[in-house]
Amino acid sequence: MAATAGQVAFAMEAFRRIHPVEFQRRFLSQETRHDGRAFGQFRATQVVKGTISSAQGSSTVRIGDTTVVCGIKAEVCEPDVRRPDEGYLVTNVDLSPMCSARFRAGPPGESAQVASEHIFRLFSGHVVDLRELCIESGQAAWVLSADIVCVRHDGNVLDAAIIALMAALEDLALPRATLDAGAVTADRSATTRLTLRRRLAPATFTLVDDAYLVADADDAEEQLATASLLVVLDGDGRLANVWKRGAGAIGRADIARCIEAAAARISATGE
Amino acid sequence: MATNIMDRRRINGPARSVEPLYGPGAAGADPFAGGRADGRGLDQVRAIYMKTGPLSGGQHEPSESAASGSAYYEQGRVRVSCAVYGPRQGRRSNARMGVFDCEFRYAPFACSWKRRSHVRGADEKEISLMLEHAVAPAIRLEAYPKACIDAFVTVIESDGKAATIAAAINCISAALADAGIEMYDSVAACSMGLRGAQWVADCCQAEEDAAPCSMLIAHMPSADEVTYILQHGKATPEQTDQAVQTCTNMCTRVYAVICRCLQASLE
Repeated sequence: MAATAGQVAFAMEAFRRIHPVEFQRRFLSQETRHDGRAFGQFRATQVVKGTISSAQGSSTVRIGDTTVVCGIKAEVCEPDVRRPDEGYLVTNVDLSPMCSARFRAGPPGESAQVASEHIFRLFSGHVVDLRELCIESGQAAWVLSADIVCVRHDGNVLDAAIIALMAALEDLALPRATLDAGAVTADRSATTRLTLRRRLAPATFTLVDDAYLVADADDAEEQLATASLLVVLDGDGRLANVWKRGAGAIGRADIARCIEAAAARISATGE
Repeated sequence: MATNIMDRRRINGPARSVEPLYGPGAAGADPFAGGRADGRGLDQVRAIYMKTGPLSGGQHEPSESAASGSAYYEQGRVRVSCAVYGPRQGRRSNARMGVFDCEFRYAPFACSWKRRSHVRGADEKEISLMLEHAVAPAIRLEAYPKACIDAFVTVIESDGKAATIAAAINCISAALADAGIEMYDSVAACSMGLRGAQWVADCCQAEEDAAPCSMLIAHMPSADEVTYILQHGKATPEQTDQAVQTCTNMCTRVYAVICRCLQASLE
């Protein structure tokens, strides 16, 4: 008796749930992936700027099903005494229990902390010139609080977060501020844009099941990951950051190929 | 003034930061001068856009950690996203009845006035509890003994506090339906503000700040039962009476929109 399409779909779903590792291996050993992509293929990326009017700069980024929203709030503070001409850029990634069953409510977990820290080091000073955030030397400066909220987690959140922060910084309209009589007055009608030093574009490659190097892994593939490689390039195609995590071994030739693939992706998406 | 609590698990900014003073803008002006700013009628709710399954469905089979059901709800500039997980094993459990838990959060950039702290505020806890009380009566909890149903709500943008809570209730109802949770009815909610002797539907932030009294009602129209009433401020008992009446009528209209969206999601 021939199985109907419904029965096949049900059997496949049961197989996926009971043997997730074997399920992925069946695809990977055939040089394909469970969602039909080739190993080097990225998911469609969609960037929308200026999505939130309560923030001075904002963006929403979708990579496949992964969705992150970035909002930048600009507030005024006293600059650090050691750096009287500089403002602050504060970047935090929020992985809430809403975006995936893997995260718990409460203070940020390890993966969120690692992502926040990495993005902070990548952007602060290298992309945004903190001196541009100075209002009055030693007295007042802008603090840009960039909060990156993950709405749906389906793998590769770090790429999405970097793209979202970059887009939100480009969208940021900073009101013109003046210090008089100890108070900072800002004028919403006259805004300036930041001059960004470089435009970062990320690409992540993941070593799945210690054998297959795939681009832009989704959540199911990330569960089998033994290593991952983040390559960040700037607008001129120079390397801004290479970050390999995990114990799995990625060959030197593979790393070189990943960097080339990252450059090809950036020129393909026109970013 | 925002006093940022130092937390080693986050990137910290300066210890103190404030909103700059924005020049003498529209602050203090009557938001109703010359009709409503967005040209709505007094009994008109802002345009609603709703989508079920943005966090749980997808082109390919969703990953195991994806939500059981989800919804995105937009009402004017109020934007709320909700994910429902469950029925699943939970921290609290009851042998006879399921437990419905709700967590409400503002995104740090959601409010137009100042940035919200990462630390969960008292108002967020209060609203979480309100949402639980408003939506739980609609769920057939006796059908889920020992199980836990969790709803996580994140406000991406807020414009009017009462309107945001109403939007959250509508969003949770839709997400619960999307998750296939057994319910008696969908809960539809609507808020109003008092202006003079006149009730004004679905106030935005500027209108709410100028209103002396606000009213929020959650209602199950098919069962014709009210699940939650919240009145803040000063109004006569007659005015309150009238508000309950008009607000439930408006809930019925919102309900029609939610039902149409849910039907469309099945086609």
